[in-house]
Amino acid sequence: MDSSFYLVQLLNAVQYGLLLFLIASGLTLVFGVMGILNLAHGSMYMIGAYLAYYFTFLTDNFFLAFLISGAIALIIGFIIERFLIIHLYKRDHLDQVLLTVGLIFVFNAIQSFVWGNDPLGVEVPSLLSGSIKLTDIIEYPVYRLFISGVCIVVAVGMYLIINRTKLGMMIRAGESDRNMVENLGVDISKLFTIVFAIGVLLSALAGIVSAPIVSLVPGMGEHVLISCFVVVVIGGLGSIKGAFVAALIVGLVDTFASVLLPEISSMSIYLLMALILLVKPQGLFKN
Amino acid sequence: MNNKKKILKPLLHASIAACVASMSGYLSANEQTPIKIGMMLPFSGVYAGLGEAARNGLKQALKENQNTISGRPIEFIEMDTEAKPARAPEITSSLVDNQKADFIVGPVHSGVAMGMIKSIKGKDSIMIIPNAGANAATGAFCQPNVFRTSFSSWQTAYPMGKEAFDMGYKKVVTMSWNYGFGKESLAAFNESFTSAGGEVVKKILVPFPKTEFQSYLTEIASIKPDAVFVFFAGGGAVKFVKDYDAMGLKGKIPLLGSGFLTEGTTKAQGPASEGVITTLHYADSLDNAKNTTFRQQYQEQYGKPADLFSVQGYDAGQLIIDAVTATKGNTADKDALIKQMEQLEIDSPRGAFKFSKAHNPIQNVYLRKVVDGQNTVMKIAQQNLEDPARGCKL
Amino acid sequence: MSVFSNKSEKLFIYIFFGIALFIPLFLNDNTFYINKIASIIILAIFVMSLDYLVGRTGLITLGHAMFYGLGGYIFTILAPEYEAVNFWLYTFYVMTASGFVALIVGLIVLRTNGIYMIMITLALAQMTFYYFADSVDYGGLDGLFIYVKPETSIFGLNFLDLDNETHFYYLCLLSLFNCFIFFKVIMNSSFGRIIDALKENPDRATALGYNIFQFRLIAYVIASSLASYAGYLFALQYGFVNPTMMSWDVSATALVMSLLGGLGTIYGAILGSFVYEGLHYTIEHLTEYWMFFMGSLIIALVLTLKNGLAGFLNSFSRGKSDE
Repeated sequence: MDSSFYLVQLLNAVQYGLLLFLIASGLTLVFGVMGILNLAHGSMYMIGAYLAYYFTFLTDNFFLAFLISGAIALIIGFIIERFLIIHLYKRDHLDQVLLTVGLIFVFNAIQSFVWGNDPLGVEVPSLLSGSIKLTDIIEYPVYRLFISGVCIVVAVGMYLIINRTKLGMMIRAGESDRNMVENLGVDISKLFTIVFAIGVLLSALAGIVSAPIVSLVPGMGEHVLISCFVVVVIGGLGSIKGAFVAALIVGLVDTFASVLLPEISSMSIYLLMALILLVKPQGLFKN
Repeated sequence: MNNKKKILKPLLHASIAACVASMSGYLSANEQTPIKIGMMLPFSGVYAGLGEAARNGLKQALKENQNTISGRPIEFIEMDTEAKPARAPEITSSLVDNQKADFIVGPVHSGVAMGMIKSIKGKDSIMIIPNAGANAATGAFCQPNVFRTSFSSWQTAYPMGKEAFDMGYKKVVTMSWNYGFGKESLAAFNESFTSAGGEVVKKILVPFPKTEFQSYLTEIASIKPDAVFVFFAGGGAVKFVKDYDAMGLKGKIPLLGSGFLTEGTTKAQGPASEGVITTLHYADSLDNAKNTTFRQQYQEQYGKPADLFSVQGYDAGQLIIDAVTATKGNTADKDALIKQMEQLEIDSPRGAFKFSKAHNPIQNVYLRKVVDGQNTVMKIAQQNLEDPARGCKL
Repeated sequence: MSVFSNKSEKLFIYIFFGIALFIPLFLNDNTFYINKIASIIILAIFVMSLDYLVGRTGLITLGHAMFYGLGGYIFTILAPEYEAVNFWLYTFYVMTASGFVALIVGLIVLRTNGIYMIMITLALAQMTFYYFADSVDYGGLDGLFIYVKPETSIFGLNFLDLDNETHFYYLCLLSLFNCFIFFKVIMNSSFGRIIDALKENPDRATALGYNIFQFRLIAYVIASSLASYAGYLFALQYGFVNPTMMSWDVSATALVMSLLGGLGTIYGAILGSFVYEGLHYTIEHLTEYWMFFMGSLIIALVLTLKNGLAGFLNSFSRGKSDE
């Protein structure tokens, strides 16, 4: 294996890791601020992908579909929070698990009803469909660079919002001490709605942007959810910085294990998780 | 003397009555009672399209026979396997023990097939597999009451080994999903390729059903083999061929596969599929009278083009029709039916074929190339190829 | 002191086992239905063990199906291929082996709490799924077959033939009954009372000097071993094991059944399993989108009926109970 092999694999790993971060950040944000573990987070990824499929089909313009799907995801997040999640704040973890599992079932049925069970695909937009020559054999698809780009923009955006805006301040405060924040006059319920909607948007965004490079099949949400859990557990629940670092680590381990240790490649990220937990049971960056 | 008569006469009357009763029962049972055909296919989930195609083909065959065989009507019983092996025993039991189906057509998925075969052993139903290609179904686990109208994984991959060597490729990388069918396909290719003198420099097994191929394609690029042989199907096949192109490998390292790589996927794959060479026991463009008629009628009936899976379902239907006609409508004697089925020649759109002793089709395998989005037949890679049925005791 | 906590429970148990005992006689050897009910009974054992863990010990796990699968796989791997081994001996082997695995898993998993535990148990179950799915020796995704069922002799006395569907049914029913009694005995013991206290108020219990970790670990091992026993029965029923036995949706569905029946009631596991499967069977024939119905029902239950069906039933006998 020459150096170009390792460099390109590194590129693959980072791209995968950044995408994982996009999804995981939503999950960890919602938990950190609201104390809610949303098991239907993977379903949002799936909904994002299928919406992207639908609107690309309808408008023949991926970028337009991107925007529309994102907007719809925000609305869905708003509705779920206002009508369902709102009842969970005073309940225990088990009720969260059960209600969100119910949501998974419902979303899976809706997906099956609306789009059917055949694998679907979305065309890479022609603007981004080229490949960049890296070596005499290998080219790298421009679209994957685009995905990484979107993830980085979102990451930077999140950093700026959380550290430089009033909303971000409320989020940080809410993460540390919910009651205090309420006493300071912040409208907690409005904050929660916004945060949950953002969480849903982040997951759906990952789905939208992945649509041209994955196969849209039933169950795609749960598969992503479990990888997401691994990232969040390693990074530390509630820590976005932790999610970023953990996502990149998971991306690296998964990518390199798939080619260097193929026999255990599927198990590799879980082994990693178990190892880290033995040393740091709360994850790498517990608040 | 009188005592004997007193016993004999009633006995005679009773025997005649019994004969008449059973004969009329036999006649009425076999004239009026429907022939029960159970369908154990995936109608939901990833394989739903294949299940639907198999059902369509089966029903088309029966429709061409006016939906009766030897005067008896047909009753279809549909059960959805969801392509889940865990459901196989329960559904088989339902069709065999509960519904008393004469024939069971299914499944699509090889894992489900293994579960079914175990449950149907020694039972009074005949199983006809319209797709599942696991070698063992007509190999180590072959049964007298199990037939297959599709293929064995070995048949679809073995011929490519020699062809690849003859095309000048000496070092090849093979790749597939890490499950039964994928591994069997790669093993079959390996068998013929290495005996021809080639070398498989690396075998890549991807966890099923992962379709994220980036890291593996990067690995292939760094190995720089003469060619790549793969098995992928459905959505995975679409993705693999497109990713192969996007990573720049297309045109530089020739891509070979068993036919499923380009069956029903060329439209979604687009220009990326041009030039991909595969081996399969069928091609849409096969130029024979039966295929042309079949495809035309299928298109009229169902509004979409026929594919490999509808052909296999159609042949299952033909098999049932021919067999039951040969026994003049008698489905009670399953052994007699089986004997007929073993001797039949099926007039299939893929070309006529007979069954091997292990009940698998002995058929031609074609070498195809994708030209303008169509699998075009280049030549017959192997004529009348019979699966070796390793481990079969039939 | 009565085994039963309240009248509803007593009534349900009598009615259920009463019917279950005699129903094969009415089914006229229709092996399909006998098998179907037997498989729901096996499921009920699995759900009961989960209910004890989640409902009574307060440990929320989404990876319980891991042990269900292990039960089947451990038997299939340990037992020689073409020989009929002794059922009782292998029950001991399977439960001991899985108990050992549960010990190790528990050591990792019980150091975390609440939300972490949910995610970690799920991830570990997935890991086990992949271990078997990617394996070369253990059948991979296609699973493994059991060719010869065990024989059931004790000291030379052989009275159950596991190939006979009705015999197998009664074995499952007996197992369910034993499981129920077993949990009731534990719950009424001092161990059980400490577990209850730990769930109510962990800090208080620690202050009183109890080692929470150890008690939870014991409960975890017990529940997981019983889940493995259920998986072992499942494998024996159709002679077949498959990695999907360990997938996350088996764990999630069991949790839902437990909720339906009433978390923490133990007998609710039986109620929940039968209601769920009953609904599944009937609705499946009406529409293919039964998932929508089930999902909505779950959401509605969480929001309204906090204690599930058994809780609803129990509320009728409140005031007269020993609770």
